[in-house]
Formats: sequence, C-alpha cells, structure tokens
Amino acid sequence: MSGTVRMMMTCHWSARRIQRYLDADPSAPLTPGEVARLEAHLAVCERCGPMVAEHRALHRALSLWSGRPYVDPAAVDRVRTFLDELTDGRAS
Amino acid sequence: MTSSADAADDRGRAFRELVEPEIEVMLRVARTMTASDADAEDLVQESLLRAYKGLSRFDGRHPRAWLLTILRNTNANMHRRQRPVLVDDTQLHRESRPAFGAAERPSAEQSFLDEELDEELHAAVAALDARFRSALILVDVHDLSYAEAAAVLDVPVGTVMSRLSRARERLRRTLGPTRLSRGGLS
Repeated sequence: MSGTVRMMMTCHWSARRIQRYLDADPSAPLTPGEVARLEAHLAVCERCGPMVAEHRALHRALSLWSGRPYVDPAAVDRVRTFLDELTDGRAS
Repeated sequence: MTSSADAADDRGRAFRELVEPEIEVMLRVARTMTASDADAEDLVQESLLRAYKGLSRFDGRHPRAWLLTILRNTNANMHRRQRPVLVDDTQLHRESRPAFGAAERPSAEQSFLDEELDEELHAAVAALDARFRSALILVDVHDLSYAEAAAVLDVPVGTVMSRLSRARERLRRTLGPTRLSRGGLS
C-alpha cells in the first residue's frame, strides 16, 4: 500500500472521529489508542489539521452567536423563588 | 419537629440542590420550545412541579437529562395541539431579543461576534434541515451533552451524534475556512 493511500485511509478514519475528539462527550469517548492515533495524524496532515481548527472556530462562533436565546436573570430569580416555595410546601 | 417533617425537609433540600444549577439551562431550552419568555417560564415551573412530585422515581444520576426529559414531556402535555419541540426556531430568537437593547444583554464579550459572520451564521443555521438544526442548537449553542440533547429530542444518542455531525459539516462548508479563521475565532 502506498504512503498516499495509507494517508487517505487515515484521513477517512480521522474524519469520523474528529468531532467526538473535540466534544469529549462522556457518551461517546474515544479510546486512548484512538486519541493517540488521531493526534499523530492531525499533527502531520495538511487536510485534517485545519479541519479541526475550523470545527473549533465554528463551535466558538455558535457560542457567541446572537441567535443564542437570552435568559433574563430576573426569570432565573423568579424560578428560584418558585423552587423555594415548592420545596417549603407553599406552592401546589 | 417530627421525623416525617425532617424527611420532607431533606427531600426539599435534595431537590433544590439538584435543580438550582439547572434553572438557567432549563429556561434556555424551554425558550426554544415556546413562543414567549413568559411561556418558557411557565413551562419550567410546571416541569419543576412534576419533577418534585416524581422525585422518588429519579435514580440520582444525570439530573440535567432527567429534568430536560420532564421539560420535554411537560411541554408535549401542555401543548398537545401545538407544534412539537421547536428548538430550531432561530427567527423567533432574533425577534425575542430584549427590548431594552444591547446594553441589557449579558456582556459585550459574551455577545460579541463579527456582525457579518453573525449574519452568515444565521443564514447558514436557518438553511439547515430542522432535525439537524435542533441537534446543533442543543449541543453547540446550549452546551448540552449528547445524552441531554437526546433527552430533549427523544431520540437515541447515536441519532443526535449523526445529526450533529451533518449539521456541523454543512455549516463548516457553507461558511468556509476563510470566514471561520477570521475574527480570532480559531
């Protein structure tokens, strides 16, 4: 198998794991072996390395995005008061 | 104080400790399911009432996913004839920005995003298929875990992951590397 084909197969393998790697979600963790293999590939691949940077940028943009619903701190306070009343037996 | 009153006190305290850290996320997720801030607040209060009544059935694990499941079910029960979980109504969020203006928003650093990219993001998110958009908004905008998003959407975790992955790929391609690398985001 040529080096190019091997690299492409690793790109394919990596692309399927990049989001799980970045999310590090407890429901779908990568194994330490997968993390090591992925990081080794990202360090040398001109295609996959920038893809990771783009995914990070996208996540950051979405967290700063104005479409993010705004929650009024006063609403949080009112729900907290409701919670107090509920657990004190004053709400029904 | 009687021992039954002690038990009620303990129950109340345990419930408060579980719920208090989740109030804000519940309000945010509720806001994506309802037409107004007031409706979202009502939905959260009704959900808390149900959660408190059902506390004995909670296994103590993953309180946020438990509360979000109750939120979803409560919303479905309260609005049986209305649309199901919206989550994706981005237009609604834009229109619901506080009337008091930008100064009332959380903080400049939290809400600052290059205006052009912000607009492009709106267009790109709005163009997504509703199912993909829901997964994206819950995980990337609301910072829910896969399991919590699965609880809100009532789908398996694997479905959240595949929808999320497709939504992100589409956004990444739509916005492109140049757009995403500008503004110090990467």
